[in-house]
Amino acid sequence: MEVLRLFGLQGRVIGALIMREIHTRYGRENIGHLWVVGEPLLFCVGVAIMWTAIRPAHEHGVPVTAFVITGYVPLTMWRHCISRSIKAFESNGALLFHRQVTPMDIIVSRCILEIVGALIAGIVVSTGAMLTGFMDPPDSMGLIYLGIAYQAVFCFACALIMAPLSEMGDVLDKFVGAVMYLSLPFSGAFTMVEWVPTALQPILLWSPSVHALEIIRQGQFGSVVRVHYDLVYLTWSCAVMILIGLSLVLRSRKHILVQ
Amino acid sequence: MIHCIDVVKEYHVAKRGVRRVLDGVCLDVAPGQKMAVLGRNGAGKSTLIKIIGGVELATSGRVERTMSVSWPLAFSGAFQGSLTGLDNLKFITRIYGLDYQHTRDFVDDFAELGRQLAEPVKTYSSGMRARLAFALTIAIEFDCYLIDEVIMVGDQRFFRRCQEELFEKRSDRALVVVSHDMSFIRDVCDTAAVIHNSQLEVCGSVNEAVGVYNSL
Repeated sequence: MEVLRLFGLQGRVIGALIMREIHTRYGRENIGHLWVVGEPLLFCVGVAIMWTAIRPAHEHGVPVTAFVITGYVPLTMWRHCISRSIKAFESNGALLFHRQVTPMDIIVSRCILEIVGALIAGIVVSTGAMLTGFMDPPDSMGLIYLGIAYQAVFCFACALIMAPLSEMGDVLDKFVGAVMYLSLPFSGAFTMVEWVPTALQPILLWSPSVHALEIIRQGQFGSVVRVHYDLVYLTWSCAVMILIGLSLVLRSRKHILVQ
Repeated sequence: MIHCIDVVKEYHVAKRGVRRVLDGVCLDVAPGQKMAVLGRNGAGKSTLIKIIGGVELATSGRVERTMSVSWPLAFSGAFQGSLTGLDNLKFITRIYGLDYQHTRDFVDDFAELGRQLAEPVKTYSSGMRARLAFALTIAIEFDCYLIDEVIMVGDQRFFRRCQEELFEKRSDRALVVVSHDMSFIRDVCDTAAVIHNSQLEVCGSVNEAVGVYNSL
């Protein structure tokens, strides 16, 4: 029963943190809370329209709009999770005044917000694209769910690792922007593994995100594309990352200065 | 009871390595006990109170709490400045599982902030902030309140309300108070400790502690 009570408490804390985060970031002006979705939505819609306009309708036999949407939504999820986790403890220092708020709660609440925001944005964009005829309905919803679930876990794992690391010094902070940009090819958003030279494919497949994106693409395009992914590798790499992240987060509590 | 057992707190200081703020501090606070913590500026009083409150963790040693302990009432912390007083209140009622309307009524009555409660906390004066923080902690009914100087910033009327709510109606609660106001300490506290050179010394009486403090 004690365990259930503790889970209840953490659930309450995370819920309160999410509401607080929404208030501080988006306030109550104009569309207010809807910006949670609006922000990633603007990004995804913009990129989808731009690519549809400037690229040929098909690349490697794959329709471009659907390709961009299936790539950009998970990428946005990842980028937002990471950028919100940088210095998350410092900016939420005042909250740690309350003993029941833990660093873990802060990351979990921020990730939930980003992941849900990106997901709803994804649903809105793809529904819009399907209604206007720029995108076909997915071949298999099951695979899309699976791929998105893995991507969400991967994003959470990255946030768990980045949040405590970013508190350790200001150096990482400076590198993050460049490293995130340079790692774009490893996100799997812009290319399929099949399209790169065979020698480079294994390098691309180090990235768990690439595996997750390949699953999503198979869900969208079915047998039109040849996909490369390994569920065992994906599961293991995410699990190891989460363990590393957990241990870093637990260690970091001692070093957080609260005003 | 609160037991601080052999608490050590170190901070990393640029270039000079490690600075030990508290070195092997032991302190017990019993239910209903009113403990004053004295010391010069920067001696580590606020650090100790934050460690007792669980806001910062000790580098080594541990704190055992068998009664509920408030967050440290201090000039900063506990509130998000960009949020309104009401949003902060809502957040606190959520994480402590309190009834919102009931807490709001109490805070309205005690803090007397009126419509300012709907303004961002960063626009508050330090006295107003103290009133809000006080009202909220008293609304939560802790067994032990941690007070870091902040009580002194309120006006006379607020001080009287505190007197009434905290020292009279809730005289069975424990207090740990950091203050430089010796007449306040003499009035309110029954035990006192002095922090000097990273060490904490629990004195036999409040008067003795004030004597030690004055000789620092």
